Amino acid sequence: MADAVLLEKRGTPAAAICTDALRASADAMAKVQGFPGFRYAVVHHPVANLDDAEIRERAQEALPQVLEILLGTSGGH
Amino acid sequence: MPHGDLEAAMAAIEYCYDQGWTDGWPVVPPDPERVAAFLATTRRPPDQVIWRMEHVGRECTVELAAINAVMAGCRPEYFPVVLAALEAVIDEGSPKIGAWQSTTGGAPILVVNGPVRQRLGFNSRGNVFGPGFRANATVGRAIRLIILNAYGIRPHGLDQSTQGTPAKYTCCIAENEEDSPWEPLHTELGYDRTADVVSALHVRSIDFVDNRQTADPEALLNDLVDTASRSGALRRLEQCTLFILGPEHAQLLARHGWSKAEVKRYVAERAGKTWAELRAVGKDATEPPLGFARPSTEAERAGRDETAWMRPFRDPSQVLVVVAGAPNAGVSAVAQPFSTRWRKVPGHARVEGN
Repeated sequence: MADAVLLEKRGTPAAAICTDALRASADAMAKVQGFPGFRYAVVHHPVANLDDAEIRERAQEALPQVLEILLGTSGGH
Repeated sequence: MPHGDLEAAMAAIEYCYDQGWTDGWPVVPPDPERVAAFLATTRRPPDQVIWRMEHVGRECTVELAAINAVMAGCRPEYFPVVLAALEAVIDEGSPKIGAWQSTTGGAPILVVNGPVRQRLGFNSRGNVFGPGFRANATVGRAIRLIILNAYGIRPHGLDQSTQGTPAKYTCCIAENEEDSPWEPLHTELGYDRTADVVSALHVRSIDFVDNRQTADPEALLNDLVDTASRSGALRRLEQCTLFILGPEHAQLLARHGWSKAEVKRYVAERAGKTWAELRAVGKDATEPPLGFARPSTEAERAGRDETAWMRPFRDPSQVLVVVAGAPNAGVSAVAQPFSTRWRKVPGHARVEGN
């Protein structure tokens, strides 16, 4: 989250992807970086123990959100 | 104490709760006079920055450290030890890489060496990890309050710990140099024996090893190695461990001619698991730097010697040994840290004024 905020601050478009279990920490980090409400993509938890097909599902879940964030249209979190 | 004074003190304690300054326990209200008494124990200026945590944009000054040390219940003369403890924790490297925020939920264990142990009453003997000693309890607690308040790393916010550890409240021991047959930790790190030193290592758990039965040094070491090798603690490829040997265990080993260096070498060479054992727990595909990353695929297992040994400790320097506790039973502890990547094993700092 910090990396995404810092990249954006330097003018590089960035989309962070986070699982829903870690939203509280993601929001807290966005706040300390001076961007409360910073938009990021959220996928279902967990990720670490998924097989290839399940990882693909997570990617499908993330993709439209990432595109919305990077293209500046509405959506994201 | 007059009743009105007690009411005011209780109101001040509740005020600190309301500000979100506590670890859950009551704190000592940090009034300016008390903070000034702490600052008077160091030559450092109050506005000197001890360390800035770039990725959260927060820093701890000497004054902020003093405020938190007051709240933790320290006496003013403990403050130079708190400063050294904070420097040791930072020197170790974990704060810089985000370990205070990690789901892994570890905490620094502090080890105090030198004459300051007697001067300020640090416990190095019975119940060394337990309650009852103001210096141990409050110096360790001061570090946690600094993490919470100065750096703003709070649970359910920037601290993502899944479970955390009781060591997050406080975890400060002194080495029992008097009952140890070996050189103390700080002299291994290059300090004079008469120096006051705090060492720090970020750890995830502290596991007991109970072995009162054996008089065989190798059997005892094998028991300790088993705990240092346990699969649940295997996460990264390059790990370290901290043995807190009870005096009985240390003396048994020394009586049979084992030096501390030989103990470390034995542990580094014997600790670990076979591929078959790692496979049984779903951790047998290793991916640097991730470590014991996932279960293996069939292709990865092809041609692999399942009886080959994966060693978590690169060399004997990754095995730390201190002696602490009472010489009353064959009981020791093994602290399970995290990875040694980007970390110093251990961090350390000298106490000012000694």
